[in-house]
Amino acid sequence: MSTTTTAVPEKLWSGGKSPFKVEYGKLMMWYFLMSDAFTFGAFLIAYGTTRFATNGWPNPNEVFKSYPFASENANAPLVFVSIMTFILIISSVTMVLAVQAGQQMKKNAVVINLILTIIGGAAFLSCQAWEWNHLFHEGAWWGRNPFLNADGTASTTNFTNFFFTITGFHGFHVFSGVIINIIMLIMTLTDTFEKRGHYLMIEKAGLYWHFVDLVWVFVFTCFYLI
Amino acid sequence: MSNEANLHSHDSHDTNHEHHHETFITKYVFSQDHKMIAKQFLITGMVWAVLGGLMSVLFRLQLGYPDSHFSWLEDILGKWWVKDGQITPEAYYALVTTHGTVLVFFVLTAGLSGTFANFLIPLQVGARDMASPFMNMLSYWFFFAASCIMLSSMFVETGPFSGGWTAYPPLSALGSASPGSKTGMDLWIIAMALFVVSSLLGGLNYIVTILNMRTKGMSMTRLPLTIWALFFTAVLGVLSFPVLLSGFILLIFDRNFGTSFYLSDIFVNGVGALPNEGGSAILFQHLFWFLGHPEVYIILLPAMGMVSEILSVNSRKPIFGYMAMIGSLFSIAILAFLVWAHHMFVTGLNPFLGSIFVLLTLLIAVPSAIKVFNWLTTLWRGNIRFTPGMMFAIGFVSLFISGGLTGIWLGNSALDIHLHDTYFVIAHFHIVMGVASMFGMFAGIYHWYPKMYGKHLNNTLGYIHFWITIAGAYLIFWPMHYEGLAGMPRRYYDYSNWESFKQFADLNRFISTVAMIVFATQLLFLFNFFYSIFKGRKVTSLNPWQSNTLEWTTPLRPGHGNWPGEIPEVYRWPYDYGKDGQDFIPQTTPVGEEESHH
Amino acid sequence: MEHTAVAEHHEGGKKEVIRVTIILTVLTIIELALGFAMMGMENQRLRLAIKGAIVILMLSKAFYIVGYFMHLKHEVKNLIMTIVVPLFIFFWFIFSFLYDGNSFKNLKNTYDPYKKELSTTKAEKKEEAKEIKTDEKKKAVD
Repeated sequence: MSTTTTAVPEKLWSGGKSPFKVEYGKLMMWYFLMSDAFTFGAFLIAYGTTRFATNGWPNPNEVFKSYPFASENANAPLVFVSIMTFILIISSVTMVLAVQAGQQMKKNAVVINLILTIIGGAAFLSCQAWEWNHLFHEGAWWGRNPFLNADGTASTTNFTNFFFTITGFHGFHVFSGVIINIIMLIMTLTDTFEKRGHYLMIEKAGLYWHFVDLVWVFVFTCFYLI
Repeated sequence: MSNEANLHSHDSHDTNHEHHHETFITKYVFSQDHKMIAKQFLITGMVWAVLGGLMSVLFRLQLGYPDSHFSWLEDILGKWWVKDGQITPEAYYALVTTHGTVLVFFVLTAGLSGTFANFLIPLQVGARDMASPFMNMLSYWFFFAASCIMLSSMFVETGPFSGGWTAYPPLSALGSASPGSKTGMDLWIIAMALFVVSSLLGGLNYIVTILNMRTKGMSMTRLPLTIWALFFTAVLGVLSFPVLLSGFILLIFDRNFGTSFYLSDIFVNGVGALPNEGGSAILFQHLFWFLGHPEVYIILLPAMGMVSEILSVNSRKPIFGYMAMIGSLFSIAILAFLVWAHHMFVTGLNPFLGSIFVLLTLLIAVPSAIKVFNWLTTLWRGNIRFTPGMMFAIGFVSLFISGGLTGIWLGNSALDIHLHDTYFVIAHFHIVMGVASMFGMFAGIYHWYPKMYGKHLNNTLGYIHFWITIAGAYLIFWPMHYEGLAGMPRRYYDYSNWESFKQFADLNRFISTVAMIVFATQLLFLFNFFYSIFKGRKVTSLNPWQSNTLEWTTPLRPGHGNWPGEIPEVYRWPYDYGKDGQDFIPQTTPVGEEESHH
Repeated sequence: MEHTAVAEHHEGGKKEVIRVTIILTVLTIIELALGFAMMGMENQRLRLAIKGAIVILMLSKAFYIVGYFMHLKHEVKNLIMTIVVPLFIFFWFIFSFLYDGNSFKNLKNTYDPYKKELSTTKAEKKEEAKEIKTDEKKKAVD
């Protein structure tokens, strides 16, 4: 048995080294993100299940139709949330650039791109804070749902329950991502990575940050579009 | 600097480990040595096993002797637990719930895979330590925190959570539903959340260590089956525990923030109608069992892996069907994710969906049967050494067969409607999952004790332990099948009010008596364990079982870093027993020129 | 040796990032356009079709983020497999959860006529309630 294996050209699996050519921390980050995907997946699937089990559901376009500094009767569905989406995509792009700069050992580029990413994250969080605040003043909160179903019938509180729980959990991830990025920025500024000779930590932080963006793609679709 | 070079400097936190100065705190408390962490998991798990076993003795006391009064119990346990010498109904439900939670999660998940994954993975794949020793330490301390909180829930005024280890709403979601649903449930859920974090930290570490840290020559098909089993266990945990976490977060919101994810309109006696609407308790059951079913295999797979290894070593024969064993582990791991709703056949599950779940559930019989046949053929005409570890391994196979067969009954939705929530279910899962995994754990302890402590356990006590435990296990759980077939429901406080169950009064008393004897025997094992650490027979041979695997190439009491010099290179699979007239050929022996292929 | 290859790859990396950013932007704009098109649409089948299209767009966005931003596409093939294969569990996870949710709704509508009635006619009452609520809020603000 053992004699018939490992006929692969590079012998990646024969031991003594990583079969994936990655160091353990990055691999661990990948598998952590996979398990986190199941956390979010379970949330979103629970949301879907409840929606399938309920007669009628509010129309998101009637709920999320305002934006900051808008008048009372503003009717601009999808506008504000698309801005939030773009903020997150752009911050993901700057993160990629930071990671690439790290691979080329360009400290200044790392610093600039990390700062941009942090600003993007903070901007997203502020947008979310505004939206939560706005909904709260419309009477929506955990256990309270002022909105009607799309067909005009009464709606259950599960609409707001799931909205606040899942966007809140995502916001918590964004928040911790921002914290991680700030730590990365401090470590870069104090030359920790220069001394270490590599910026592998930033790659891991980058993976986490992209995952946050990835989750938003799903949350955005499930709550605002469908 | 090239990335490739980085990988090496990064992955090999190597030899300088041993030269660190170790204080008492860093050596025994906040240790980052995987062997010490394994022992911490083991001993915490054993403490929980004793407590959990004691709980089962207490509620068996109520079931076996519903009319007797034990006034001395009141002095020990206090008024909340015992009134007029009888366990109170609240206490009974609290005991049943905590017994389940503790045994399933704290003993057979953390105590079993926590111990042996930590102990065996680095030793058997040939690594200095886990990929991240620090996270490994955190994993234990999260488990410890979870343990403390769970233990503290036993002492709150309203009692610990008492809605069953599955924590179904509304009992778990409404504080007003029962006494145990108040503070007890809050503590329960916090403890479980910490436990999930602990098992995620551990699981990620196990997976990455197995993939990335294997020594030279240790290809995946040269891994001992223990490692394969622990690998799939970790994968199951990493993918399924997060779902439980999500379910628990929603549950916390239902409890504390006025949501109704799991609550439909409900009327609580003494409180009135509650304003919840739109939720469904079945959603929680789905989320819970999405973890809950893989959890069964998280418990069972490590035991299977260790049993495979021990059977092969002690029958002095290569394991039969090594690749088939890996394949069946893999298919069990996949199927584990696809069958959760077989716990929910009577919830009003859609019949079409139910029939798919029946099909997938019955499919599990195929890989299970492959494993059983392979174990039996490994034993067949072997040169068997009946060490206590081997006895327990054989006992595992026996229990796995007899418990697994009733699983085929329960997997049929039509039969399950009759058998659901009866003692038949209790008998099934205690034999196949509870006692069988316990046997795997005992087998592992007896087998690797020499490596853990450099001493042997006392054999005579080991044999007594084995024979009483296996006879007791069958005597306790076999009659329960008949009770279940007669329709006796589980989780009832007192059966003496029903004419149809009066016939079982004597049987229940018998079961309770045996349970107490078996519990006392486990104390014998505990004595053996702790006595032998200090006074046990010293291990004189580096390789007391003449085994092929790498852990026996380390010094008698390996320090942090496991091998004093270079990590040995591996040239062959671990099951070369009785090959070419040689009793055993360790993995570190290079393949000879004229060696035959197997 | 390895190093130069990596560096070259990352010189081309910048272009790739820009390309992927543009793709993601375009996909999001299409999603939004579909979302706007769906507003006020009465044809339920067409709505469903559009929702399906949005889900496909969502998955392709996820593909680009994971593949290029998270660099998975450039990893060793076996690593990709270990990430992607377990995600197949989601098919059964999603299908059976939603299927059972739907079945639960049908059961309730069939065997709980009161519930059914409640969920089809109570709208106006709620409207009033809502007005009262907003009135109260105004009072509170005053």
